[in-house]
Amino acid sequence: MKRIAITGGKGGTGKSTFAVLLAYKLLKEGKKVVLCDADVECPNDHLILGKGLEFPEPVYQKIPVIDPGECRKCGLCVRECRFNALFQLPGKPPSVVENLCCGCGLCWTICPHGAISKRNKECGKSYETRIEKDFWLVTGLSSAGVEETGPIVRDTKIRAEEVAKKVGADYLLVDTAAGTHCDVINALMRNEKAYVVTEPTILGEHDSELILKLLDVIGIPKEIVLNKAGVASKKGVEKVAEKFETKISFEIPYSEELVKAYCRGNLRGLDLL
Amino acid sequence: MIIAVASGKGGVGKSMLASGLALLFSRERKITAIDCDVDAPDLGLWLGTKEWDSSEKISVSEKAFIDQEKCTLCGKCKGICRFGALKYAKKPEIIPYLCEGCGLCVHVCPGKAIRIEPVQNGEVMFRETKYGFPLVSGQLYPGETGSGKVVDDIRERAKKFGGELTILDSAAGIGCPVIASLKGTDHAVLITEPTPSGFSDLKRVLEVVNHFGVDYSIVINKWDINKEMSRKIEKFAGWRLIGKISFDKGIFKAVSELKPIMETDLKVVEEIKGIHKKLKNVIERKAS
Repeated sequence: MKRIAITGGKGGTGKSTFAVLLAYKLLKEGKKVVLCDADVECPNDHLILGKGLEFPEPVYQKIPVIDPGECRKCGLCVRECRFNALFQLPGKPPSVVENLCCGCGLCWTICPHGAISKRNKECGKSYETRIEKDFWLVTGLSSAGVEETGPIVRDTKIRAEEVAKKVGADYLLVDTAAGTHCDVINALMRNEKAYVVTEPTILGEHDSELILKLLDVIGIPKEIVLNKAGVASKKGVEKVAEKFETKISFEIPYSEELVKAYCRGNLRGLDLL
Repeated sequence: MIIAVASGKGGVGKSMLASGLALLFSRERKITAIDCDVDAPDLGLWLGTKEWDSSEKISVSEKAFIDQEKCTLCGKCKGICRFGALKYAKKPEIIPYLCEGCGLCVHVCPGKAIRIEPVQNGEVMFRETKYGFPLVSGQLYPGETGSGKVVDDIRERAKKFGGELTILDSAAGIGCPVIASLKGTDHAVLITEPTPSGFSDLKRVLEVVNHFGVDYSIVINKWDINKEMSRKIEKFAGWRLIGKISFDKGIFKAVSELKPIMETDLKVVEEIKGIHKKLKNVIERKAS
C-alpha cells in the first residue's frame, strides 16, 4: 500500500480539495482508497464529500491521578514536570492542571511512593465513513479547548491504517492541517511522499517554503501542487520548486465551477488532475 | 485592549482583515500589531514588508540528547516515549522533531547518558511599519515544537511597545497556538467564508471562544461566492455580524505585488472601513 500526505503550510490553499480530487482520480484507475482527514482541529473532507461522520470512537489521553493517601507531598513530581501541569499548595498533595498535561508519563514513572496512577481522559473522537464502494474516509476531531492535538492525529492514523488493512486498500491518503507544528508532523510521519498544495501568491510561496523545509528535516520526498493557477504569476512558486529540487506535478486552474462544486459538497466528475 | 482575529479555517482572510484594521486603528490611537501565526506568519507581507528591523532567536522548548559514550545499551529507555521520539534499533536515538522535551527518558536512564537541554527553536521579529506602528511577529522553526509558547513569548515581548490597542492575528485551527492567542483577549473578530467548511470551522472556533468566555463578532469574507450559504451564516451570526467582504481577484494581485490592501482602490477598502467603524463602537462600549 502506498501512503501519501497532502499538506501545504498555509491554510486555505486547497489541501482538502486536492486530497479529494486525488482520491477520485485513483478510484477511476480502479484503486481502493482510504482518505484520512488528519486536520483534527477543523476537519472538512467529509463536507467536501457531502457525507456525515459515522461510527465514532473516543480518543483518549493519559492523565495522572494522585492518591492523597499514598502521597508524601515530597513535591518531586511538581518540580520535574516540564509542562507545569502539577501544582502544589504547601502541605497538600499536588493537583493536576489537565489542560497543561500532555500525558508524557514522567510523574507516574518517577513517584517514589507509587502515589500516582493514570486514567483515560477523552480528548477527541475518530470516525469512519464509507464514501462509496472502494472509498473510505477516516476523520479525527479534537474536543474544544484541547491544546495538544498530536495524540488525536496519531490515533486517527492508527484507525485509518486498520481500515486500510481490513479493506485491502491500495492507497492511504493523509490530509494534514495547516501550519508546521506537532499535529502536522504527526500526520506526515510514515508517508512515502507528500504533496505540498500552494497558490501563486507571495503568501503561498512563503508558507510552502516552510513546509518544504520541514519535509526535508523529516526526510519525506515532496512534490508541489499549484492550486488557483492563473490568478497571478507562478514564477515565484517555480523558484521555490527549483530551490527545493522538486517540481510542480499538478496545476489546478482557478475556476468558478470548482468553487461551486466545493460549496455543494460534490467534486466527483470534475476532471482537474 | 486586545482584539484578536481568528477563524478556524485557514485562508479565509484573517491576515488581510488584521492588516486593514491595524492600519485604520493606527490613525486614531497608539497600536501594536502582533502576528501570532508562528507556523506561517504572513501579516508582514499584508503590510507590505518582507524585511525586519531586528530579530532575536528564542528558546521555548527543550529536547533530549543522548551521550552514546555513556550509554550501556541497557534498553531501559526502549518503548517508553509516548511521543515516539526515542527510536531503539541497535542503540537509542532521539528523533528531534518528535521530542517534546518531557524528560522521561532522562529519568529512566540509570547511566545518566541522556540529558535535556534548551534548544533555539524560533525567532521574534520586530518592524516599525511605514504607518508608524510596531509589528511584532514570531516564527517557530519548521520541525520544532511549542508554537503556543512562541505565541506567549511574543505577546509578552510586544508589551514593551505599550499602546492602547493590540491587534492580534491568530493561526488557523483551534489548538495550542490559537488558544494562546485567544487567552486574555478582550474581543475576537471571527472571519469565515460561505462554504460548508468555512461555516463548520466558524462553529469550531466558536466552541473555543465560548470555552474561554471571549466576546466576539463575525465577518463573512467572499460573501458573494455563495449567497445562499452567506444568508445562513448571517442568520446564525445575528447582531454579531459586523461586516461582509466581497470576493475580488484583485486582492491576489495586490498581495502578490506586496501592495497593502488598504492602498488599493478595491471595494474591500470601504468594506474593511465599515468593519473598523463597528469595532470602534465595540471598543468604546467596553472601555466605558
